[in-house]
Amino acid sequence: MSRRRPLARWLAREGVAMLALLVAGYAHGAPAGDAGRGQQLYQGCTGCHSVDEDDVGPRHRGVVGRRAGSVPGFAYSPALRASGLVWDPVTLDRWLTAPQTLVPGSRMFYALADPQARADVIAYLATLRE
Amino acid sequence: MTTGPMNPERRRALACLAHGGAGTVFLLAGGVLTPFDLSTAGAPATTAGRPFLVQLSDSHIGFHKAANPDVDGTLTQAVNLIRSLPMSPRLLLHTGDLTHLSRPEEFERAAGLLAGVGSIPMHIVPGEHDVADETASEFFRHYGQASAGRGYYSFDHDGVHFLALNNVMQARDGGLGGLGEEQVAWARADLKGRGASTPIVVFAHMPLWSIYPAWGWGTADSGPILAELRRFGSATVLNGHIHQVISKVEGHVTFHTAASTAFPQPAPGEGPGPGPLVVPADQLTRVLGVTRVTIQRAGARLDEEHLAGMA
Repeated sequence: MSRRRPLARWLAREGVAMLALLVAGYAHGAPAGDAGRGQQLYQGCTGCHSVDEDDVGPRHRGVVGRRAGSVPGFAYSPALRASGLVWDPVTLDRWLTAPQTLVPGSRMFYALADPQARADVIAYLATLRE
Repeated sequence: MTTGPMNPERRRALACLAHGGAGTVFLLAGGVLTPFDLSTAGAPATTAGRPFLVQLSDSHIGFHKAANPDVDGTLTQAVNLIRSLPMSPRLLLHTGDLTHLSRPEEFERAAGLLAGVGSIPMHIVPGEHDVADETASEFFRHYGQASAGRGYYSFDHDGVHFLALNNVMQARDGGLGGLGEEQVAWARADLKGRGASTPIVVFAHMPLWSIYPAWGWGTADSGPILAELRRFGSATVLNGHIHQVISKVEGHVTFHTAASTAFPQPAPGEGPGPGPLVVPADQLTRVLGVTRVTIQRAGARLDEEHLAGMA
């Protein structure tokens, strides 16, 4: 049984992943994201996406850290399935900037032009843990 | 006073209807199509002639999120409004996104609901949500016969020439619609032999005119077709996709986008991007246009005068 306090246990469990996300984001030059605002902005994504069920696009829970094209049973484009991408703040930022530029032939066309809006949405997606 | 879509008074009326529209009824007079919001169309239909066509759009059968958990119900309301018109329209155009996920059961359910309009012939173009299945085949299994599986075709009805275009299967980065060289060449050739006095109606899912390209609300390669339309005395360009009523006139070409029967979207540029807009449940039918509004009589009277002047 662990003798660590709750915060220490949480940091031990989540800290490395969170630190990696932060480092990746700042290294990319993206602004820091506000997950709360990202959750509000996510309403705009719900025309095609849901958190816990597949829609026009795949479910988003667990998307950060997931290999692109890997949700079981979802009908991805061959292009995305073969992309070799792993969704992290950098790849998600590039994807939300211009999906057809990052993965030509994929089925997503929606883009977010505002870097802060992308950062906020990505911060929200990072909270959707499995 | 001369009124109609080219008149500012009419534009103001359309602006008032910007959040209205379970569908749009178009009256045909003197070769010119004049739009009325479906929920307010009873009066003009009785006084200004037979409604020529009704446009429905973006029904998203299968959608069940907060923006509208009952899209079957709101499409049914639109169908009931069509049934309640004093005279039956001659055509029903659906400008795409009939379904949300292109699932067979969604197409079946939508067909069942639309059967409520009776024997009115329906023409439909695909929206991107109608071709979201892996092989993009379910839409064409149901509605592909007229276009030989291409999604674009032309036909004539009561002296009006129609072009149904498919701009959702060659979309561009940022979400702009795309037609592709083959379809553009086909449409230009189709229009080339037509007399300039032939009323033309072009309809597609995504806007064929640039409403807000930053949100993908336009079609990247529609320019040559729009240029071809300029020589016609009356051309009407219809679309859906943006879930709100917006109109404009360029020369003799009138553009109308239709409201959704399912849920509204933000006005162009308001907010970070497009997407379903959640409104309080007791206001949903209002933004879908199924509630009668006070401009009904004024709008009807203005257009009645306009149509009488055209006759």
